[in-house]
Parts: sequence; C-alpha cells; structure tokens
Amino acid sequence: MIRGGSSYISSPPAFSNDAKRLLVCTANTVSIFSTSTALQVASLEGHTAAVTSVIVVPGTKVLCYCWTASLDGTIRYWDFSVPELLKTLDVKMPIFSMVIPSIVGQPAESNEKPTDVFAYLSIEDKKVQENRPKAMHGQIRKCNLTASRMVGGLILKETPQPEFITVSSSGKFFGIRNKRKLHVWSVPAIDSGRSLAKKITLHHSKTLSVLAFHPTERIVAAGDVTGRILVWRGFGYRTFSTGDELVNKEEEHPGVRGNDDADSCSTWHWHSAEVKVLSFSSDGGKEGVLVVWQLDTGKKKFLPRIGSPLLCFTDSPDPTLSSISCADNLIHMLEMPSMDILKTISGIKVCSKESFYVLIFKLHSHPQLPHSFPGRYEGLSSGFAFDYTSGLVALRTESYGIQFYSLFDDHGMYEVQVCERNHQPGDEISVVVILVALSQDGSMMSTVEVKLPEEGIGGLVCLKFWALGSENKKFTLSTVIYEPHRDAGISAVAFHPTRHMAVSSSYGGDFKVWVCNDEIQQKGQTLQNSGWACLAVGAYKKKPMTAAAFSLDGSVLAVAAETVITLWDPDKNVLLAVIGETLSPIVTLSFAGKSEYLVSVSRDPKPQLSVWNMSKLSLSWSYRLHIEAVACAVDLLSFAVLALLPESSMCTESNELMSQGRDGAILLFNVMDPVPVATWSVRKAKGGGLSFLQGNPSFLEENISDGNAPKEFLVYVNGDHEYVLFDPYSNEANEVSMARRKGLVELEETGQVGYASIYGELPEFKRNQTSLVPSVPSERPWETIFSGSSHNLPPLTRLCAAFLESLMEKRTAAVE
Amino acid sequence: MAEPNSTFKPIKPKLKPKPRTPKQTPESKYWSSFKTHQIPDLISSITSLTFSPSPPHPFAATHSTSLKIFNPQTLSPSSTISSFSDVVSSASFRCDGLLIAASDLSGLIQVFDVKTRTPLRKLRSHTRPVRFLKYPLHDKLHLVSGGDDAVVKYWDVASETPLLELLGHKDYVRCGDFSPVSHEMCVTGSYDHTVKLWDVRVTGSKTVMEVNHGKPVESVVFLPSGGLVATAGGNSVKIWDFIGGGKMVYSMESHTKTVTSVCVGRVGKENVEEGREHRVLSVGLDGYMKVFDYGRMKVTHSMRFPAPLMSVGFSPDCGVRVIGSSNGVMYVGKRKTKEENVESGLRSFWSLGVEEERRVMRPSYFRYFHRGQGDKPKWGDYLVMRPKKVKLAEHDKLLKKFRHKEALVSVLGNKNPENVVAVMEELVARRKLLKCVENLDNEELGLLFMFLQKYSTVPRFSGLLMGLTKKVLEMRVEDIRGSEALKGQIRNLKRSVEEEIRIQHSLQELQGIISPLLRIAGRA
Repeated sequence: MIRGGSSYISSPPAFSNDAKRLLVCTANTVSIFSTSTALQVASLEGHTAAVTSVIVVPGTKVLCYCWTASLDGTIRYWDFSVPELLKTLDVKMPIFSMVIPSIVGQPAESNEKPTDVFAYLSIEDKKVQENRPKAMHGQIRKCNLTASRMVGGLILKETPQPEFITVSSSGKFFGIRNKRKLHVWSVPAIDSGRSLAKKITLHHSKTLSVLAFHPTERIVAAGDVTGRILVWRGFGYRTFSTGDELVNKEEEHPGVRGNDDADSCSTWHWHSAEVKVLSFSSDGGKEGVLVVWQLDTGKKKFLPRIGSPLLCFTDSPDPTLSSISCADNLIHMLEMPSMDILKTISGIKVCSKESFYVLIFKLHSHPQLPHSFPGRYEGLSSGFAFDYTSGLVALRTESYGIQFYSLFDDHGMYEVQVCERNHQPGDEISVVVILVALSQDGSMMSTVEVKLPEEGIGGLVCLKFWALGSENKKFTLSTVIYEPHRDAGISAVAFHPTRHMAVSSSYGGDFKVWVCNDEIQQKGQTLQNSGWACLAVGAYKKKPMTAAAFSLDGSVLAVAAETVITLWDPDKNVLLAVIGETLSPIVTLSFAGKSEYLVSVSRDPKPQLSVWNMSKLSLSWSYRLHIEAVACAVDLLSFAVLALLPESSMCTESNELMSQGRDGAILLFNVMDPVPVATWSVRKAKGGGLSFLQGNPSFLEENISDGNAPKEFLVYVNGDHEYVLFDPYSNEANEVSMARRKGLVELEETGQVGYASIYGELPEFKRNQTSLVPSVPSERPWETIFSGSSHNLPPLTRLCAAFLESLMEKRTAAVE
Repeated sequence: MAEPNSTFKPIKPKLKPKPRTPKQTPESKYWSSFKTHQIPDLISSITSLTFSPSPPHPFAATHSTSLKIFNPQTLSPSSTISSFSDVVSSASFRCDGLLIAASDLSGLIQVFDVKTRTPLRKLRSHTRPVRFLKYPLHDKLHLVSGGDDAVVKYWDVASETPLLELLGHKDYVRCGDFSPVSHEMCVTGSYDHTVKLWDVRVTGSKTVMEVNHGKPVESVVFLPSGGLVATAGGNSVKIWDFIGGGKMVYSMESHTKTVTSVCVGRVGKENVEEGREHRVLSVGLDGYMKVFDYGRMKVTHSMRFPAPLMSVGFSPDCGVRVIGSSNGVMYVGKRKTKEENVESGLRSFWSLGVEEERRVMRPSYFRYFHRGQGDKPKWGDYLVMRPKKVKLAEHDKLLKKFRHKEALVSVLGNKNPENVVAVMEELVARRKLLKCVENLDNEELGLLFMFLQKYSTVPRFSGLLMGLTKKVLEMRVEDIRGSEALKGQIRNLKRSVEEEIRIQHSLQELQGIISPLLRIAGRA
C-alpha cells in the first residue's frame, strides 16, 4: 500500500541550520527535502495527527534538532539528521501553533547552563462548553519544554479560534492577530515559569490577516484583507519599558489609532486582494505576486505571476535562499536578491473548492446556453484521469494546466499548460479546463476548456488533443478544435482502447467520433501533418448526450442519451441498440473489463448505480447509491465504485465512522453479483477519484516478499488529493507498512565553497588512465592490442609487456 | 517538476484550420519556383514562342509583324527582326541555333541569320497564309511548313524549293512538329480535326497515319520518346500512341476554353534522375497554364494568368518558361539555376587559398576584438543559452499593465483582425470588454465601428463580434445619436449586415435545393 499526495502547505516549512534541508509538514509526518535538488530525503514519522509547527533549534550547522507540534496534542523533539525521536511531551490538547521565543533569541554558543526552554502554544480547548454564546476555543498558553510540563493556569489570551502565533526573530516579542486587533507580548528577558509576558494591543479598522516583526527594530507590520500593509514603528515603548508609569504625554503619533502604544503608523497599499504573507523583507498575497518592500522608502520589487496565492514565506539561515509556499501545493525556492525561482517542490495540486462552486453556479445561471450544462455540472467532480500503465494521474490545475503526478513515486512529474493565458489567482474565474481524458496506453490526451462569456458574448468551448512526445515523454499539442459541438458544452471524452480514435459527447444532443490523421493515411506516410479530424456525427432523438465509453475491444461505442444508453458501431456509425432507461440522467458509463456488462451511474435527483447485460440488452442489477467515481478492472470481471454514504445512515448507525470523518465507501463488485466482494470506508470521498492501475514492475520488486505480487492496484484519491494505492484482492488488512520508494531520492551533492560556489566546479583534467584499453589478454592479443587510435593506447611499456607476453607460449597444460 | 511560469504570455490569435492535404507538392513547388516576370508592350498577340536548341537558349517570340529574340538571362530583347510584310505566324530555330526561319500571313517564309538579322533565303510557294514552320531536329537543310492552303510543304532551304507537297488535309493546317527521334517524320494538325503523320521518304505524299482529335487542332507536339503525340484542340489535350497504331491514351479536359498551345516541359535537372520526367504544358484562352503528367495521367500543377494565353515555350535547360498572351504581354518564368551557385562555389574554392594566407591578428587591429564572435558551436560544445526574450506587441504590453482600453485601441489601430479578436477574447476572459467599450471616446468608438463593419460578418469572427456589436449599440446609443460621423458608420454597418443576411438567405435556398438531392443520393 502506498499513501501519498499530502499537502505541503498546511503550515510553514522550516530550513535547517545549513540551509540545505527544508522541513515540511506533510500531514502526520515531517518530510525533509533537499533544497538543492527539491527531492525528499527523509521523513519524521510518529505523530498521529497533522503536524502544525516545526521549529529547528538554531545553532551551528551540524546541529539538527527540531521541535514539532501536532494536533494530536504532543510536542516532539527530533534529531532530523538520523532521523530519530528524542523526546515526547503530551499537552493533551490539539496544538495549532507553537513558538519558542527563547531559543530563537539565544546566542548560538552560550557557555552558561541551558535555562529552561519555554514554548508558547496556541491550542484548542475542547472542554469549553459549546452552548456559551461566545465560546473561546483558542487559548495561548505557555509550556516549559525542558521540564515537560505546562505552566499551570497561565492563559495569556483567549480567542474564538486558535490563532497562528508569530514570533520576532530576536525572540523578544510574539504576537497574534485577532480580528481587527494585534496582540503583541514581550517575552521576559529571563524567562521563568512565573514571569508573565506583557501585552499591548494595536488596532486597525479592517480585519487583519497577517503580522510580522522586524528582526532588529521595534517595528511590526500587518497585512489586512483589503491588501493594505500597516507598519507600526516603535511599538510598546511605554508598556514594555521598565515599568515606570510615565505621564501620558499627548504627542503627535501620526496615523496611530486611538490609544495604541506605538510611535507612528504608516500604510502601504499595493495589493488588490488579501495579503496572506508578510515577513520582513517581503510580502505576497492572493494575486500570487511577491513584493519586496524597502522599508524606509516604500520602494517595491516584484516577482509576479507565481501562479497561485502565496501562503507563507520562510527565510533560511543562508541569506540568499528563502522559500515561498503557494496555495496550489508548491514550494518554490527563491534566490533572494534577484528573486529567481531556483527549484520547486511540487506536491499534488489542489483546486480550491470554492472556485469550482462559483463556476458551477455560473454555468447554471447562464441563460443563453440552454442545453449546455444541465442539472449539476458533473464533469467537474471527477477531474482526474489515470494513466493505466505508468501509474500517473492527470489532474486539472487552476492555472489552466494539467499536472501529471506519479502515484508510485509520490512525486510531481510535469505540468502541461492547456491554455496559454496568464493566470491571476485573485481574478474571477472565466476560463477553466473542465475535462481531461487519457487513452489507455497513455499516449494521447484530450482536454476540454470552457471560456465563460461576459454578458453573453465571447464564450468558447475548445477541445484539444495532445500527443505524447517520443523522446521527452511530454504531451505536445496536436489539434485544437474550437466549438466542437457549436456552443454546447462537452459532457465526456473517451478514447478508443487500441486505435487513434476518440469520441466526444455534448449536451447539445450529438456526439462526434474523431480520428487521428495518421490512421487515415498509411503508416509509412509523413506523420508531421498528423491531426485529429471528425469522422462521424451521431445523435439520438436530439437528447443531450451525457456520457460516452468504448468497450474494451473497441467494437462498441456506448453513448448515454440522458436516461437511455445507445450502442453504436464506431466505424460505420450505425446505431446498434438502445437500452434503458434509468430514472435520472446518466453521468458515467464504463464497460466492466472484457465482460459483456456495462456500468452506468446516474446522480441527482435519483442516484443510481446500474449494471447492464449487453447480450441480453437489459438491466442486470442496480443500487440506489450516490456514486462519486467508477473504476473498472481491465482484465478481470470486477469493478469498484466510490459511493458517498447517505446522510440518513450517517446520522443513525455509523456514528463511529462519522467521528473519524469518513463519509464514503469503496465497494468492490463482481459484475455478476450484486453483493460487494469487499468494502472500505474512506474519508473525504466528495470529489474523489478511483481507478485501477497496472502493477508497476519496479514496485513489484519491493513487494516480492508478499509472495504473490498483485497484478492491479486500486488507487483512491480523496477530495483533498491525498491518495492511497492498494491491492484490492489481498485479504490482509491494508495496514501494510508504508514502504517509501527510494528510487528518486538522489544523493546530496557535496557543498561547494569559495571559488567553486561562485564559478562552479572546474572540470577535472585527468591524464588518460590506462583503463581505456582493457589489457585482458585474449586468445590472440596481438590482433587487438594495437587497435584503436594512438592516443587511446596504453603506455608503451605496458603495451610491450603485454605484447611480448602474448608471444610467449603459456604452458598451462604441462602438468600431466 | 513544474516550471515557474513567471514570464508574461502574449496573447495569441486563434489558430486557423489547416488544409488536410499539404498545400504544395514538390512538383507544384518546382513550378512555382519559376519567378514570373512580365514583358509588356509587345504589340498584339504573341503567336508563337520558340527556344534555340543551343545554349544559352535564347528564345524568339513572334508578334504582329516582327520577331524578337530574347536573352534568357536578362530577359531583354537582344535583336528584333521586322522585315515582314504581314503578321508573323511562326518561327523556328535551326538545330545549331544559328539560323531562324519565320513565316508570315502573306505566305512568305524567310530564313535569317540570328546574329546579323539578314534574310538569307526567301521561300515563296504558299499561296495562303503560312501558319507553322518547323526545322527538324538534326537536319540543317530542310524544313516543313503548312498553312491555310491545307498543303504541308517540305522544303530544301538552300535551293528555296519545296521538295514535297504533302496533300491530304481538308482544312487549314495550323500546327506541326518534327519527331524528336527521326528527322524524316513529322506530324501536322489541321482544322479538319485530324492529325496526320508524314514520312518524307514515302513517295506519293501519302500520310502514314491519321488520328481524329474531334475538334479543330490548334497545337501538336511530339513527346520526347517519339512514340507519343500530344494534340490540343477545343478544351482538351489528347495523348496519342503513334507506335501503338494511333490509339488515344488519355484525354485531359481540365481547360475550360480552347487550348491554344502545348509544349513539353521537364521537371528537375538533367543530371538528376528526376530530370527524366517530362510534362506537357498547355495554355488556353481561359488564362490557365496546366502541367500534365502523362506518366500518371494527372494534372500536377495549374497556374492562372490574367489574360487569354496564346503560346507557351519551355527552355531545353529547364531554366525559362515563357507564356505569350493575346494582349501582347509575355509572362516569363525564370528559375534560379544552380549553375550560378556552382560558379560562385567554384570561386570560393579558389579564393580559399588566398584566405589562408591571412595575417595573424594582433590586438592593434579592431577585428582582433571581434574574433570568434561569428563562430558556430561545434557538436560537443556546451551551449550557454541566453533566455529567450519574449517579444511583446504594443497591446500585450498594455494588457500586462492592465490598461485594457488602451490595449484595445492600440490593436484596433493595427489592422490585424485576428489580433483584435484575440485581444477582445482576452478582455472577455478578464471581464473587462464591456467596460472598455463603455470608456471609449467618440473617435475610438469610430475605430471600433469601422472594425465591426468590416469583420463582424466574417464567419470566423462573427460569433463574438455580432454579440459585441449588439452590446455596443445598446451601450453607446446616446453617443451615436450625438455624432454625425458615428451615424454614418452605423449606416455602413447596417448595410454590411443586411448584405450578409441576403447572402445567408440565398445560401439557405441553395441548401434547401441540395439537401433533398443529397438525401436521395444517400439512400441510393
């Protein structure tokens, strides 16, 4: 079983002291990436819930210790070079954020005996009664890490939600944002269990989204939801000063609101959307633009078009390197002064849900496309395409691209830009890739993109065919078809299993069979002019065509015309038979392997899973289930469905499932038999995908200890694009320990210093060693010993010896 | 790994559909590689064109009462012979290219020295206009002529006497050709629809073979094998197999008007294997020149000229193709010959020795500092690539700065409809098009209307532009009422839309007529 696809961006990453490692919180583990290769080198496993904070203990470059805090209520201490767990602390309450101001401020080499280390935690108190009108769930607490205990009874602040704590790099201050206020605490110089941090509050008229401290001066900056950045200078002189009650002189505090404790406040406004990241030296926002502000003058430097909203910015001990985490599960390594992206750690991409809901809403509310998008736009929910042979998943990204992600390696492969547009993450969504389909051998891809019209003008549906390049293994655009079904939307695209043929069905009431030109021409002809062209058009009673599929041998094409299934001969374009009908429109069709059964799925208003017998042209059996995805095994007679558990059952019987957030189930059926062969309950099934994959030979090697290597895997991708691969036919529970593949992990290159770091490695000029010519005496060495160009020959002394030796007779058989 | 896409992507117009078949076959590429020059101002129609068999293959054109000899390199007339009393009908070079014979409508045939232009012999025997004359291929002493008196005469040029009078045609003899393999066989075509093959060795002036073209024969030519003959008459060019007993091999009917002249052309150079392939070039009154591949029986190339064409000639070295029109314009297609390149290559080969003696560069030379800049990378070299600079058009720059209206105005000024539509589509995607339209001032609105009037009915753009036109009219109705100029443009716009509607109506009518027929055909 392989798990993967976790989010890299749930919490800010941390650099190791030598800036060669990046520690990223990935669900229950901390993954350690190399900054120079952007590949994973190790992981820290042990937490039982999502890790929320990782803090590297500063020190010399060889020190590799870190603290992690997790929602499972524990704080752990690791040596991440080994990696090894050193200490565990149980707080018993989910920790949302943790800062350790004292270790940040400590000089690296202090001779004195290490004092107690205190951490400030942002935790969620579950014990707070729900019925209180303003339940304060979030608490800021203090914890003595050295003594492994909470500082009793000390709650610094209660907030409605657990907040993210920001600490200044000097370790003197930390703060949180709370709606329109900033709370800033100063850490006592000698931190002890009793000493209480002092607090000031700064106010603003808009909801604040982020705050940051200046590394050396008393400046705090905050970003708000409207894109403004506020900078308070000299905050807290009064409160944090030694405690003399100064008379409150009425000084001019330009821009400072009310009674706040700060010298001045200035505002910059550049971002048009919410500022998500703010850190001294730079900030970025929802538009996906990183802006570096020069603090004194307010001058700006931009890194535009990062492609998605930025979530956090992390500096490394190496001043030239920093990282930004983007909302689409990417971490970019930046070279700082020039703001070049050096490397990218790409996780599986996630589309923000709300954007698609907006789109769905739009497609509905559009009056001028009567047939185009009926009911719910179902194509959106299963936006995955699986490459059966090579174990890749293709998924749509927000930036009009298709990401190819290797499921076996848990590693982003590459991205194909479907639509040549500049993606502005903050903008209203107007162009979207709605469908992606891969052929069974993975050599062809087709995508459908929709441009939404502006007040009824300028809408466009565009079907594109892509071919896999033979040498670089990347998809290149082959054919573009504008408005393939006039202005009607496309409901499905399916490829012929063996030939260069595809079918696209549209809500406009027709389907088209496309063939690649190579097939029309002879094989030996020139192929550079290859392209896709329409071979045939079919329609059935002008009904919207809602799904399409080829049978495994390609002899039958099934197209769903709302509630009935029409069967066609794809070559002659002749209607063979009509079977039906279901209660509500069919959204997915798929043939179950080589068998004579066809699986159809229909959803709202009456969800149904039906299995049709093709030889009898009749319904075999059906269930009333809300099916999210269907996967059919290629060889066997089984298929798997991902079903959403109905709300009613969730309320009554499966309370324990609910508590774990499990809202769906994978059911494995044999086509003959309506009783499922196996079931698994899963989390976050909404928007999930399911597919069978061919066993990867390299993967099989590792599992060879199991005895019988599985032929096919079932892969399940949940709504958050986390996935799991398992063998559906094995009896053992899927608690097989996760074997991480080491294949792609490259060895770290040695660090370069001095000259080499600036100009790179000098090429090594070695004298030609003698190893070029193998001096193994053959049967008749004089024939081969001098062959080859003269500069490749071994030195003369050696040659002569070999030559003379060859002339001498070997007396091996002389013993007799 | 995903590449950081931090470069701005310029907008791209929609792709246009490509034709399924390649636009240019190698052959049509060859034929269009003849760069056409016009030689105007020849008086009246060019009645015949003939190439000298000896290099550099000058060609002679007959028109009105004069004969002009052109240099094939410069395409300028090298000499003009005008000692004719009537319209010159035909001319023919002797096989060594030193003499040229010309006939005119008075019935007189004259033989000139090409160099001095002096008439050497005058052959007087035809009583009616002579329409053709021809020197045989390797025979310097005789020639054959024919004319409106329906008699074909075989002359001994030196003695100015007709040796044979070949009788048999019942109408005007219009054309004839000698066999490329024998100087005793010739073929003539006449308005009596027949083509007759003569052998001067046969006594009694009897025809050897006779074929019926079916239409008055305008032109006849032996194909290089000597066994096939191409005849032109009416709208058709027919290929006959004379060795096989005068069988018609193929009839090419792709001209729409009378074919006036045919000649033999060749594809490729002589030394290449391809060079063996011959083609029949035919020109007609419909203004088309067609290239016919008689091996595959296919028209391989076709070219249109703006005037009825009267005559065609093709130089033996494949360098020049001449077409004469009825209004005195000659279209000369000249091909860049390889010989020039070979020559220049030769020169550079010789000059190589000189270059090697180049002096060693010293830092005192200016060129010293430029040395090596033009060097090409070798195969194994590691190339340090400079990042490619994206060239942005004006509208792209403006779009990058989110100055949408300026971008629209800038692209409207550029007169490239594809780009304008692409910018509009981008603006739609940004939800800014209507806002832009709202903000246009009157002058810019005029620009937009001009564009809409021109292109809103083009099928490729109409999907977007028709909708836009409606919206613009709705939104800017006040401004249009206020301005006379805009009103005028609206009127134009209306006219073009009405015109389009009319076209669509008539097309629909046509469709209505055709679709039942198609359905019936499909059923059958």
